[in-house]
Amino acid sequence: MMVVAIVIFTVVYILIASERINRVAAALGGAGLMLALGVVGADDAFFSQDTGIDWNVIFLLFGMMVIVGVLRQTGIFEYVAIWAAKRAGGRPFRVMVLLCLITAVASAALDNVTTVLLIAPVTLLVCEQIGVRPVPFLIAEALASNIGGTATLVGDPPNLIVASRSGLGFNDFLVNMGPVVLLMLLAFVGLARILFRKDFVADPEQVDRVMQLDEREAIENPSLLWRSLVVLALVLAAFSLHGVLHLAPSVVALLGAGVLVAISRLRPESYLAEVEWATLLFFAGLFILVGSLVKTGAIARLAAAVGGVAGDSVPAAMMLILWGSAALSAIVDNIPFVATMSPVVDQLVRGNGPLGGQNGLWWALVLGADLGGNATAIGASANVVVAGIAKRSGHPISFWEFTKYGSLVAVVTLGIATPYLLLRY
Amino acid sequence: MRVGDIVEEFPVVGVDTSALVAARLIAKDRRPGIVVTEADGRPKAVLPASQVVKFMVPGYVQSDPALARVMGEVSADKLAERLRRATVADLLPNPPMELAVVKADDTLMEAAAIMARLRSPLCAVIEGTRIIGVLTASHLLELVCGDDRG
Repeated sequence: MMVVAIVIFTVVYILIASERINRVAAALGGAGLMLALGVVGADDAFFSQDTGIDWNVIFLLFGMMVIVGVLRQTGIFEYVAIWAAKRAGGRPFRVMVLLCLITAVASAALDNVTTVLLIAPVTLLVCEQIGVRPVPFLIAEALASNIGGTATLVGDPPNLIVASRSGLGFNDFLVNMGPVVLLMLLAFVGLARILFRKDFVADPEQVDRVMQLDEREAIENPSLLWRSLVVLALVLAAFSLHGVLHLAPSVVALLGAGVLVAISRLRPESYLAEVEWATLLFFAGLFILVGSLVKTGAIARLAAAVGGVAGDSVPAAMMLILWGSAALSAIVDNIPFVATMSPVVDQLVRGNGPLGGQNGLWWALVLGADLGGNATAIGASANVVVAGIAKRSGHPISFWEFTKYGSLVAVVTLGIATPYLLLRY
Repeated sequence: MRVGDIVEEFPVVGVDTSALVAARLIAKDRRPGIVVTEADGRPKAVLPASQVVKFMVPGYVQSDPALARVMGEVSADKLAERLRRATVADLLPNPPMELAVVKADDTLMEAAAIMARLRSPLCAVIEGTRIIGVLTASHLLELVCGDDRG
């Protein structure tokens, strides 16, 4: 059965990576085949914590999508972005820095794709007002969103998978990833100053036009805004108070979504439009595929192989996972990669060997998968979304233009992650 | 009654015509749209007035309508700016919409069915491959419902 599971998994993975067929169809088709051939049974797929669908991840994603669905209708993103551009006096570099910081912070609290979807249209408006090319701003925001999303449990889908598999909580992410992400953002701002220096020339007469924008007009329903912000703050606080409340993140997100939906009085189709059903189904299919590898023992063998390559050395294992994950996440979707690797790391960390109990391996996986996505235009969903918005607005971003900047930022941020992991863990 | 009996003369434009010229033709007499023809005179597409209006609106405002409010008053010149730089080819929807076209000997029901299916405010009327005019939705309604005196 192990051979059957590996063959099905490999074929599905190739189909997903090559985008030959829709990724949801590939994942669900593969999962269906695993079930039909008896590699896993219904109990394994739907009710087992080790080999089945991780409902914590699915419902955490769903809850956060509904919260975002309400939040985006408040106009808060437009308000903050225009306010920031005005605070920057319309000076291009300052505008870029503030927009990137807003993107990074929002990406830590919400998901990356939603954040760039919300920030990109405002960026196009601001750039048009001050008369600068929007492409560098959009690229910088995608990169900042991937860096910012690394900091928290809910910031990037791979983090949800790692959190659920490892048992690491919201505060663990904040304490372990927060400081290094701050350092990376500082480095990123310096790097952006150099990388995009030719694009910071604005027409002084046009710069004043940004001051004429009225950010207050973005907020149509202040009451909805305040209610949404209070619920989001409570949700984030409940994530953080897991040790006291003992509520799983998925339960917190669902409660937050339920309360927000009830008090917002919005029509279901308006906030449900934000729920990416295809992504949720993709996750479900992936979990069954990976669960089949776990059940047949393929993951245990892979973990042993990784352990063998790293030897008894924790630093070697961390570097192998960090840079290996980064390289693979740059060219394939980091979600299936982390879904596959997390049970491998789980076996290493749970084992009694020299790598047992070393949470640094989990952080290496998070940093490698999240930051590696910055390296190419297709490495992360946020990059693909930004490229699509840029194209539709008449400012196409070529694969190589993104990759030229993104790969440098990925190498620098991974360069910061390397000593951080080695020194701290 | 056949479509050919009630066909109206209507201006047509080519894909290379300036977008501003096409917009002015639509604006004149408040037409619901205009027919775009190939170089050999065959109808290529119906360009509804709403599609021209859509083109004037920046993509970022289409993605995020809240931005229209923060921009405040925008001058007519500024709104028409994009049309000055474009041709009719730029205005056509991508991917192209199915052409709303009927033959001169088709019935009113056939014309209504095509307009309803394609949500088109007008359809081109052809004889052979040659366009002989258009039938607009408002003209069709006038024929079917009469006016308030009847």
